Formats: sequence, structure tokens, C-alpha cells
Amino acid sequence: MRIRSKASAGTMQSSDLMVVVEPSETLQIDVDSTVKKQYEHLIRAQIGATLEQLQVSAGHIQISDRGALDYAIAARVETAIRRAAKE
Amino acid sequence: MVPGPDLPPGSAGFDWPPLGEARALIESCGLRFEPGFDDLVTLYDQERLVACGARAGYVLKMLAIAPSHQGSDTLGELVTRLIQSGQAAGHETLFVFTPPQNAPSFQALNFRLLVTYGQAALLEYGPGLPAYLAAHAAQISPGRNGAVVINGNPFTLGHLHLVEQAAARVDRLYLFVVREDRSVFPFAVRYRLAREATAHLANVTLLDTSRYAVSAGTFPSYFLKRLDALSAAQMQIDLCLFAEALAPPFHLATRFVGEEPLCPTTAAYNQMMAQVLGEHGIGLVVVPRIEAGGLPISATRVRAAFRTGDFDTIAELVPPATLAFLRSEAARPIQTQLEEV
Repeated sequence: MRIRSKASAGTMQSSDLMVVVEPSETLQIDVDSTVKKQYEHLIRAQIGATLEQLQVSAGHIQISDRGALDYAIAARVETAIRRAAKE
Repeated sequence: MVPGPDLPPGSAGFDWPPLGEARALIESCGLRFEPGFDDLVTLYDQERLVACGARAGYVLKMLAIAPSHQGSDTLGELVTRLIQSGQAAGHETLFVFTPPQNAPSFQALNFRLLVTYGQAALLEYGPGLPAYLAAHAAQISPGRNGAVVINGNPFTLGHLHLVEQAAARVDRLYLFVVREDRSVFPFAVRYRLAREATAHLANVTLLDTSRYAVSAGTFPSYFLKRLDALSAAQMQIDLCLFAEALAPPFHLATRFVGEEPLCPTTAAYNQMMAQVLGEHGIGLVVVPRIEAGGLPISATRVRAAFRTGDFDTIAELVPPATLAFLRSEAARPIQTQLEEV
């Protein structure tokens, strides 16, 4: 899937996250999280797995997380990417 | 909770029904309603307004939550809507000014605390300062550097004198041109004229301040108890932001300012600047103004002469680049704008 336009998904509520994706020639992932110290590596791993599953190799992915669980991260990232991939 | 109706686009919202309710909620939270915003978002619970917040450009303000809904995650929902509103309008980075005791609530929403001073704290959401510094990493050089912050509306021989004096005393001088467009000369013109006039100075680097110069126009006053504290709070936040956000990465040891003999309130401002910068270990050097025709050179004088088309006076006040621009066709709309004021 290719990121064609800017799109977002999610909220800033507790246990949720907000994802903004936009086109970029390289893959750049920025993570902000209230639990960044403890869980940044797990958040990044989950984002990486979702991107791989959707075959996304380029784009600027910005995450603002408030302690979301892995399935919420996967769902929000996938939604943002599907929105951004629309013609 | 459900979001209320959208503010009608293009309107100031004066006849918009929820505005009265929002105003009452804002005032019941001990804040002051401050007109001047691009969007106002509202949240309702069983048809009762329980939270609202406004966005003016990239600044969020007047965030108010009914006591019955405080402590829940209402702030998260409100901020979500404001961030979406800002992103839809093209603002990646958003600012919020708040009393210092409220800063942790925003930090829990991934806002970054930029500065706290006195009655005000400034936080930002989004790529913000780290992205600004990363973009300018190539221009950062070690040493004992200095800074001049100008609006340059437009660039004068006075500015040039200040820059030359400052550049002679430091390893590298960063000339920050205020990014915000609240002046008659647009940023692109102010920046270009400053660059052309200082091109002969090898150790001067031009930068734009991005969002990191807080003007009186950007700074909201709704959370201050006393309006007369407004200008002091705004100046303190602006100076602290300079001292804490810009000075360390650019190795700024000294800030240079032009003396302002024409303006009586400036003595107090310069005193405050010396104090706040001093608290952060940054020196302040006040460079005397140069004169033309027995009066100090100022951008105000240039604009007055430009308004009447007095190019003989202008030629005594500005460097060649500014004079050439003012004589060009591109400057006509600005002249017309000045005539209308």
C-alpha cells in the first residue's frame, strides 16, 4: 500500500493514540508517548509489524500515544494508512 | 459526550448559538473570554455544554471544562478535537499557554513543556522545537556566539549598524528574523532584505524565529488574573523561550539590542530583558542608535517616509537593497496599505 496523502486516525484519550501519516520518500517513524521510556521499543515493533503487513515501505508516521495496547496501535495505524492510500 | 456543532466557516461566530454558552463556561472556570479565534470546539453531555476550547492559528486557548467533568478524560477528548482542527488547517505544531499548575495535564497528553516563568507556562504539541533545531543543525557552530532578533519592517541602516557592531564582538552572529506575519512587510521580504544587506558579513547567519519568538499578538491573556500583567508576562515568556530554547543549542552567550530612545516604555523592557537573560547567564549589550538628520534611524521613520513617497529621506535611512525594493513595483501594494492606515 502506498501513502498518497496526509491522513490521521485515533484520539488523544487515555489508552488511545493519535496517528498522522503523510507521504515521504523514506520511512520515518516518530513516536511520542506518555510511556515512551518503558515501551517505545514495543510501540515501534507493533508499528513495524503493521507496516510490513500492509506492505508500506515509505512515509512519515507520527504517533502520539497515551498508553494504548498493541491491538489499538495496530488498528489506528492501519486505519490511518488505509485513509492515506485512497485515490 | 458528543461534539457540538461546528463553528460556521468564515464567520466570527457572533450569532452562533453555542457561543454564549461557551462564554459562560469559560468565565465560570475563572478565565476571561477573549475574542479572536479561528475555531471553537465544544463537547456536550446530555445536551449540556461540558467542555470547550478555541484555536487561534497554531495557538490553543480558553480550554474550559465544567467541574462535573474535570478529572475524567474530557481534556483528552477536547484536545483531540483541537489537534484535528489545527492539523486540518495545516498546523503540525500547536501551542498552549496556561498557568504553570496546569502544565502537567498537558504533558500527560504528550505536550512538551517549553518554558515556565511567573504566571505562565508554554507547551507545544507536535514536531515543534526538536524538528526546528534538527532542520538548522547544519548552521550551528561552536564558539561564543551572539544573537540579534529583529522584525525588520523594513531593514534599515540602524539594523545594519546593530548587526555590524554585534558581529564584530562574537564568533558567529545569528540574526533571527521574526517569522510571524503581523507587519506590513511580509516575512519573505523582511528576510530577503536582511539577507542582502548583511551578505558582506562572513560570520552572520540568518535564521527565522519560527514560532519561537512570542509576540504580543500571539500571546493570549485569557488566563491572567490582571490584564496589566499581560505585557510583562508576554515579554517574560518570550525572553525565557529565547534563553532556554534557542540560546543553548546555538551557543548564544550575548544578545544585542538597539537602544530605543524614541519609546518611553522601552527602559522597563530593557531592564526586564537584562534581568531575565541574566538569570540564564546570557549577557545583554545595548547598542546606541545611529542618527540621520538629527534623529535616530528607525523602521517607523522609513514607513512614514515611504507612505508619502519621500525617497530622499528613505535613501538616508536604509541600505541599497531596501531602497531598491521600495522603489520597485513589488512594493506598491505595501505603500497602498500604509496610505490606508
